[in-house]
Amino acid sequence: MKKLLLATTLILPVALPAAAEGELNIYAWADSISPELIAKFSEETGIEVNVDSFSSNEDALTKLQAGSSGYDLVTPSQHFVKIMADEGLLEDIDAYELDAYDQLDERWQGQWWDPENDYSIPLAYGTAGFSVNRDKYDGPVDSWSVLFEPTDLAGSIALLSYPDEVVSAAQLYLGVEYCTEDKAEMKKVYDLLMAQKPAVVAYTSDNIENRLGSGEVAAHFWWDGNTLRLRNSGAHVEYAMPKEGLVGWLDSFVVPAGAANIDNAKAFIEFMSTVENATEQYNYYAHSAPVEIDESKALYTKENAPELFPDVPVVFAQACSPAAQDLVTKVWTDLLQ
Amino acid sequence: MSRTFRFWGLVPAWALMLLTLIVPILIVAGVSVAERGAYGGFDWGFDITSYRQILFTEGWTDELEFDPKYLAIIARTLIFAGAATAICVLLALPVAYYIAQQSARLKIVLLYLVTLPFWVSMIVRVYAWLIILGNDGLLERVYRLFGGADISGFLFTPGAMITGMVYSYIPLMILPVYASVEKIDPALIEASHDLYGGRWTALRRVILPLAAPGLTAGSILVFVPSLGTVLEPMLLGGGKQLMMGTLIQTQFGGARNWPFGAAIAMVLLTLVVIVLLLNARRATRQAEVAL
Repeated sequence: MKKLLLATTLILPVALPAAAEGELNIYAWADSISPELIAKFSEETGIEVNVDSFSSNEDALTKLQAGSSGYDLVTPSQHFVKIMADEGLLEDIDAYELDAYDQLDERWQGQWWDPENDYSIPLAYGTAGFSVNRDKYDGPVDSWSVLFEPTDLAGSIALLSYPDEVVSAAQLYLGVEYCTEDKAEMKKVYDLLMAQKPAVVAYTSDNIENRLGSGEVAAHFWWDGNTLRLRNSGAHVEYAMPKEGLVGWLDSFVVPAGAANIDNAKAFIEFMSTVENATEQYNYYAHSAPVEIDESKALYTKENAPELFPDVPVVFAQACSPAAQDLVTKVWTDLLQ
Repeated sequence: MSRTFRFWGLVPAWALMLLTLIVPILIVAGVSVAERGAYGGFDWGFDITSYRQILFTEGWTDELEFDPKYLAIIARTLIFAGAATAICVLLALPVAYYIAQQSARLKIVLLYLVTLPFWVSMIVRVYAWLIILGNDGLLERVYRLFGGADISGFLFTPGAMITGMVYSYIPLMILPVYASVEKIDPALIEASHDLYGGRWTALRRVILPLAAPGLTAGSILVFVPSLGTVLEPMLLGGGKQLMMGTLIQTQFGGARNWPFGAAIAMVLLTLVVIVLLLNARRATRQAEVAL
């Protein structure tokens, strides 16, 4: 009943594609899945694939909570996999029985977000940090202080429009625990971001390539592989390696509860996890692959893609308690009030 | 026309209103007093915490204190929406008047041009302003061409946001104003000149009063969507200051506090209803005076 009612609310218009056979509706990070691989999958199986995109984990969570999302496959990050599973929003697909599971690097198996490997198969992992345009800024990028307590960069910084990664990064810089429920600790985070605000031109998660590539801003909160792709397209950008650490993320395929095309979703997961296809996906997406790939055909190596091989600590984002999450929200709302 | 026919004839309209307007509003009202789910979502119940939160929040100490931050966001939204409406009035009146003066054929072409932007997605049109206002964008280049100093920073300002709002909604002002001024009998303006009224007097005493219904309708059509605008503050304003639309969005997204988002939506709805009621009262009073 709740689902039915929610589907009619004005705020969240939801797409309701027909649950026909031979369909697969994917909801993934913008430009995160190789279009060639999708075409190849459709050709091999005759399954029609529709892809919609999101630009924050929060968007994906909200869409699933609204019910009847119509999606068969979603790719949230690890902490949101945990929240979605705890909230009963995911279909138990016995992921550990899939061939894809055997392809996984051991360090991604049986982790805290999906201890029994019931729900998820990872697709990509990487870090969130910040990137600078080297035509606009030639200073050091070895600490978060460059971004959070800017001198040279003041007036030329953009952050993301959601608190998730930004607050985590500020916590790394200040040495505050992720998901702390201690108000005094979070006040420090707030004070840092508030003091930084006059130096920030925008809080936005869209169109980052252009904004940073064109030099409209000299520094942007961003992701490793996206920076790599922009650099390879000719832009003079560099991904910072702050000594305090980077915010780690791992995106996984999950199937929303009640999805119409579960078998197709599993088939796609298997398809994406074969060595050949995973290599092609790695070369397209330019984020690290959690499954086995063919090193001889991989485009990115430690030499030509330092973004993907950080030599600083990587601390993965956690699923916060509601109380801790409220503090994160309070920091953000007070910041933008 | 029998009574039964009049009743049953209206049933489809009532059903449509009930299903697409009344029921959704009741759901939003219900969510606004529901209990908040731990990670978003909600459980039906009755809890007015969300409304209390508009005025009182726990500060950085644990005490519940009066906190004007949401009132400030509401006030800011009203001011920006009012400014956008005022600018639309100033721009639309001469444009509508000019169109009304043209030949019948040209009128159709010009009106078509006014509505033309509606054929393109709103997001695309707002993105176009990113290119115009951005660093080294069209505006800066033109400014430099005419000898202006090397300046930048049009984008991500309240000005950029209001520009985007005016651009998005001005056709909604031009069309009703045109409908009003088009009906003005030129003889009335001649008459005012015959009575030694200058151009200013003609504008103030003849054209403006006759254009008033169009200006009122246009102002409502511009003000109401401006109150709930989301795209312009995010893309052109740089998301640095919350407006009611973006505040509601963050509550359903990042903040995972649906009841509070719904409560703010109810406040927004109440503001809109107040605007419409004030207008309705004025219209009735005018009708009484006319009688």
